[in-house]
Amino acid sequence: MEEQLVQYIAENLVSHPDQVRVNRKDTSRNVVLELSVAPGDMGRVIGRNGRVANSIRALLRAMPEQNERGRERRRRVILEIE
Amino acid sequence: MEMIEVTANSVDAAISKGLSQLNAAPADVMVEVLEEPNTGLFGFGAREARVRLVLIGQRKAAEPEGYPQDLGEEFDQAYDEPPDQEPATGAITVVADVELDEDATVGVEVLEELLTRMRIDAQININRSDDDEGEDPHWMLNITGKRINRLIGRRGETLASLQHIVRLICSRKLERRANIIIDAEGYKTGRSNRLRGLAKRMAKQAVQQGRTITLEPMQPSERRIIHLTLRDNEDVSTQSVGEGRARKVTIVPN
Repeated sequence: MEEQLVQYIAENLVSHPDQVRVNRKDTSRNVVLELSVAPGDMGRVIGRNGRVANSIRALLRAMPEQNERGRERRRRVILEIE
Repeated sequence: MEMIEVTANSVDAAISKGLSQLNAAPADVMVEVLEEPNTGLFGFGAREARVRLVLIGQRKAAEPEGYPQDLGEEFDQAYDEPPDQEPATGAITVVADVELDEDATVGVEVLEELLTRMRIDAQININRSDDDEGEDPHWMLNITGKRINRLIGRRGETLASLQHIVRLICSRKLERRANIIIDAEGYKTGRSNRLRGLAKRMAKQAVQQGRTITLEPMQPSERRIIHLTLRDNEDVSTQSVGEGRARKVTIVPN
């Protein structure tokens, strides 16, 4: 679901929504979301002083804990933009 | 955009009736209660509930027969708060008692899309604010529900992020600025009242003590409230100093 949130936001901010990709990598401690967009759209998903990227990160942190196989421990969600 | 008005003897019944007419899921419509039901006195003046449903999501794919009967139950589940141990599913209810314009409609739609993907169950209350203290008219979308405090964050920072994203997406969709304010559990409304009180108290203190008073760092919207509150106060002037997150308001006696 985290990746769908990032996908939705990115698609609605960029000029080339068809080139938005979000790749999710799960490890035991982290969830890494790799967001890639068309080169000309980088600025739109990062924002001035990284404000857009940081806002997306804040929303990811506000998401409720995900219980996978009954595990309660909270994993960090990391958003990387490339 | 598809829109229907439905009447029934209760609001819930009218909504489920409308949902089956639209063949839509609760999350796909925006519900506006036009008239509460009224049983009247001995049956005189009795009024049915009247609701308006606006289809904002995708219509469901054709369902097998028997679907309309199941709808009532699905509806109740989506609208009842789930027990604590139940994972949140992202069910959203929208409540508005005024006519929505394009800005508000798009704003609610975007907010719903975000909250659903964040798996946050919530109710969105929509109000038009045409007031006060020199603020521009705007739409106030107040999110309420269980565990909505997480959306506020420290000093309202998460809420500011949510509003930033909603406004960015809306202004791209509308191709102009959308005057939308996102609130959660009335945090901003309460906060702006507290800030107005604080501004007046600190102005008094600045005058009494004859010195400049510096407030804690605040977000732009919060600093604006201080400036606006004291704009007509002839005893003090206000100024923002500092950069970025550390920017704060100073109150200077004249």
